[in-house]
Amino acid sequence: MTHDPTPAPADDGVLLTFPKGLVGFPQHKAFRLFEPNDGYPLKFLQSVDAQDVSFTCIDPVSIKQDYEVPLGAEDSEALRLESPEDAMVLTLVVIPDDARQMTTNLAGPLVINAKTKIGYQIVLNTETYPLRFPILTKD
Amino acid sequence: MLVITRKPEQSIVIGGEVEVVVLGISKDGVRLGIKAPRSVQVHRREVFDAIAAENKAATATRVPLQDAAALLRAAQGNPKKDR
Repeated sequence: MTHDPTPAPADDGVLLTFPKGLVGFPQHKAFRLFEPNDGYPLKFLQSVDAQDVSFTCIDPVSIKQDYEVPLGAEDSEALRLESPEDAMVLTLVVIPDDARQMTTNLAGPLVINAKTKIGYQIVLNTETYPLRFPILTKD
Repeated sequence: MLVITRKPEQSIVIGGEVEVVVLGISKDGVRLGIKAPRSVQVHRREVFDAIAAENKAATATRVPLQDAAALLRAAQGNPKKDR
């Protein structure tokens, strides 16, 4: 896993806790989310205890206006959301060497309670929610 | 791996609170019913694996984030195609 170079944070960002980690990364629970310098609209999710574990992410609504995460009762319960406005949603961005082909995973959004800073990666139906949604408009 | 033979309508209980019931067997597959507390997430293996693979791909970026961000900003400045 390479992340080169690690972008400089524009600010200290916000500390988030993912009690179950991310799918495939269950051991990393504490992350710092920040927007790097010149990084808008992308954000950077950096594991607090492993420098080489970090994810580029984006607010999916900025690329797909009608994107909504259908939260099951169990998800809402785990997140302890008092109102839908407290939910912050991010999706992970995959940037291949040809960055124009970058995609975001709409099937595995991160849903974070903005008040408690606790989040979970929600696993959605991949038939409805694409794993590789092109971020840049296809030509 | 523990291997158990079950017939339709028979079940197994895991950890006292998860029950997997064989609902039916056909030539196309086995239908399972799963009773579990809400806190236990149940996923098809392939969906879980696919999301784990995308997560892994999202950590392995060689392109500087700023370059990708600049591409995105340029694209968002243009009128969006409907999709």
